[in-house]
Amino acid sequence: MSSPEGDAPSRPDEPLDLVRLCLDEIVFVKLRGDRQLSGRLHAYDSHCNLVLGDVTETIFVVDEEDDDDEVKAITRSHSEMLFVRGDSVVLISPKPQG
Amino acid sequence: MSFFGFDTNLPRDRGQQRNKAPGFGQPQDAFADFAGRDAAAGEALDFEETYDGLANQLDETGDDFNDDTFGAGPSVGRDFDFSGKTDVVSQAIEEERMRYAATRPAPMVNYQQSQPAKPKKTGYEPYKDNSYIPQLQADANLWGTAPKRSPGPTAHHRQPSQPKAPRKAMTLEEVEATLRAEAQQQARQPPQPPPSAPPQQLPNFSFPQGQPQQSRFAQPIPPPGQPMSYSHPPQILQRPHQQGQPHGSPQQPLQQPRQAELPGQGISQPQILQRQQRPQPAQPPQRTTPVQQAQQQRPPHESPQPRHILQNPNRLSGHGQPMAPPPHQQQQMPGMQNFPRGMPPTGPGNHQRGPSYNGPIVTNPQQILHMTEEDKAAFMLEEARRSKRNHKIYMLSKDNGLMTPQDKNFITRIQLQQLVTATGNVDSQGPEAALDEDFYYQVYAQIRGASRRDPHQPASQFAHTYLFQTGGRYGMRRNMRHGDNHMQRMEQQVQRAVEAAKAKPKNKQLIIEGSLGKISFSNAKTPKPLLNLKRPEGENRPSSAARRPSRNPNSASSERRSTLRNIENVYGTLMRMEDHERNAPSRLSDDSDTATIQMHMEWREELRNLNQKLWMDLKVLEPIIPNSPSQHPFIAILGHPKGKKAIPRVFRHLEEEQRLTVITMIVVHLDQLDVIAHALPSLDSNTPAPLAVREEVDLFAQVVMPSLFSYVNDAPLNIIVGLLGLIVNRTTIPAIVRTKVGLSILTMLISRAELLRQASSAIDPSEWDQWVSLYNSLFDGTEPSLPSIFPGTVVEADDVHVWQFLAAMGVAASPEQQQRLVIGVKERVMETVGVSRTLPRELGEQRLGHVNLFMRAIGLDVDLLG
Repeated sequence: MSSPEGDAPSRPDEPLDLVRLCLDEIVFVKLRGDRQLSGRLHAYDSHCNLVLGDVTETIFVVDEEDDDDEVKAITRSHSEMLFVRGDSVVLISPKPQG
Repeated sequence: MSFFGFDTNLPRDRGQQRNKAPGFGQPQDAFADFAGRDAAAGEALDFEETYDGLANQLDETGDDFNDDTFGAGPSVGRDFDFSGKTDVVSQAIEEERMRYAATRPAPMVNYQQSQPAKPKKTGYEPYKDNSYIPQLQADANLWGTAPKRSPGPTAHHRQPSQPKAPRKAMTLEEVEATLRAEAQQQARQPPQPPPSAPPQQLPNFSFPQGQPQQSRFAQPIPPPGQPMSYSHPPQILQRPHQQGQPHGSPQQPLQQPRQAELPGQGISQPQILQRQQRPQPAQPPQRTTPVQQAQQQRPPHESPQPRHILQNPNRLSGHGQPMAPPPHQQQQMPGMQNFPRGMPPTGPGNHQRGPSYNGPIVTNPQQILHMTEEDKAAFMLEEARRSKRNHKIYMLSKDNGLMTPQDKNFITRIQLQQLVTATGNVDSQGPEAALDEDFYYQVYAQIRGASRRDPHQPASQFAHTYLFQTGGRYGMRRNMRHGDNHMQRMEQQVQRAVEAAKAKPKNKQLIIEGSLGKISFSNAKTPKPLLNLKRPEGENRPSSAARRPSRNPNSASSERRSTLRNIENVYGTLMRMEDHERNAPSRLSDDSDTATIQMHMEWREELRNLNQKLWMDLKVLEPIIPNSPSQHPFIAILGHPKGKKAIPRVFRHLEEEQRLTVITMIVVHLDQLDVIAHALPSLDSNTPAPLAVREEVDLFAQVVMPSLFSYVNDAPLNIIVGLLGLIVNRTTIPAIVRTKVGLSILTMLISRAELLRQASSAIDPSEWDQWVSLYNSLFDGTEPSLPSIFPGTVVEADDVHVWQFLAAMGVAASPEQQQRLVIGVKERVMETVGVSRTLPRELGEQRLGHVNLFMRAIGLDVDLLG
């Protein structure tokens, strides 16, 4: 596959080059809707669609009526493989938090 | 205004309407017929004879003061003037009839012909009259409602006395007979009327359909002799429309009986004809005479009658005249709409509880009684199965006909198009495009060594495969034959499509001569590029060399990032190399032309460049800085899982010398490898390494070791000696031997040397001496650690690699060294043997087998310990 990877950038030319460094590493992903993921990044694309492996998903249930954003409950679930649609991705960080 | 002779005015409205000027009071007419019907039926039935006396049981005293309460108005009375007006004109009607009859040669023929003749009105009659001037007015039919409304008042105006005539004719007996007939008819055919048929469908029924039914229903009607008017055909006609069943009986003979009544009636036929005339688009009053003449002179024609009949159902349905399309449209409907809409409702119903379902149940009761128990059971079973099947068919057929054959064809074409774009490009755009199209299939095929190694292979193979797999679904179905047929057709189609696609030039852009722009095509696979950015060559090169030194080497995060970047570079180069490999030109042979040779040269040159780039990317040759706080970049690469995974792929593209260098680098930094440095169990506790480390170790053993092993397995003794020398001199043996990876590498080297010694005769004695001395120092270094080289406790079984190492050591060891070995691990041997006896048989055997690896190597056996 003759892809842009051929001219592997040595310095990040675009933000996603940083994501590229996280390939096959454990990443922390923050999603919209008070969700967090932590898992191994298998693949991504320009839309920030992600494929994660061995993922722990954390869902914070926030009472929206309260002003103080109090977290009412935390739900955790585990998936072996996960496809994350890019439009929900807020943040990708190389180091899993927590 | 009714066409059938009803006075459509309700009794209360009658006087009022009578007084109105013509043209007014028409709005009521929309439902006039409806109302008229009700009035006729209701009033006709409301005779003393039918009074059942129920009202006598009512308490009438409550009504005593009604007059006081409501006021005693003028009595409404019962003398509703149904017939009075008709009586007035009955004379004229009779005259008309006589005259009509006189124009006929014989009465019998008259009946025969008059009925068919009646509907034959064409509407062109007026034109036969020379003095007729067509109405210069928009055809009122266009509005649908108009034809009925506007003529109405005209008729009133014209013949004020006539409209009443038919009402008189509707006697109680007739109405009753009609109702009975309807009831009978309905009772006789309970399943037929589609109950769900919406009333709107009524107008859709065509006249041709309705007419036979009319005649059919006319049959049960009381025979001739009873006075009968045409005022009731509407009723008759309306019902049959609901029935919606095709009827084959010829209308003519059947209608005869009714026709025969006419003479007795004496007024109907001409009257009706006149009324039929009225709907003719707004004829001005002064034209009346010619029109009437035309009627009288000529046998009546059909067309007006159908219109009324067609319009009438509409009213019955309660939608009123406005809903009815113009007669012209209506007459077209039978072909267009009537069948598609009118018939299908009964179709599915028949499908579900048609003869196959309903029939048996009807005929069965007697049969079942005579059956034996087994037969009955079998029958019931059969019946249940059948009904189940019917239900299933019904469920399946629910969506039948949703797609027309054209739709299906269309979908198939789309799919074929996709297939062809997926495969057709392959043939026209070379391997590059092929890989872009289905990279994973290509790589998979390459790995599998499948037949499609050559991307130029006809793509129909692909299509064939695709279709074959799809065909599997057909195979599972019961109707194999059908599926096969379909498959064959499909295959042929695909083949044709593929060939056509090949024949067609596949340019992505079209430049029309003389035009300034280009037209670029797009398809599902290669969408039209909106942006085409070319990264300038070499733009991102300059920082490459200066990068590492320029960064603060002590910064852990920046080091980590640079390592990750190195890995990505390696992968990038790897992919390019693999890609390049796939693009290899055809093999050189003796008779290759210069172009091919040239291509080969270029290809090799490129390969060499890529190899160099890969080598640089690996950072193997970065200078080794002793006591540096940061890891050697190559070792750092190995510290990441993806770095480890790259090694086997990298090894394929490296030359022998480069491989040796890689191995040397690994060996030199053995105790810095994460899989060794992090995997060192703490001396004082037996806690196993963390899960992440164990995973790394496993990964290393799975992906890196095979590469090393494959190289070492072919290496001559001097290299083995060199490698072992590096380990002995440059690393801390006690640490290494306590790790799985370290032990594996040592085992690898030692066993290779032993194999070389046993296998080949031509061993340089000096090299061997070198080896022996190295082995001795290794042994000496290992011996103190022997008690602690076993990971975990005895119960934990993960110690195969240790036994393997010990076996290798034992084989190579001198007798004296063997003894020391046995002493060193004796305790563990005994423990393991003890534990294996407590374990289940299989597990125990396994553990003993591991121990035996070592015991046999030094000429002993576990059984001896018994």
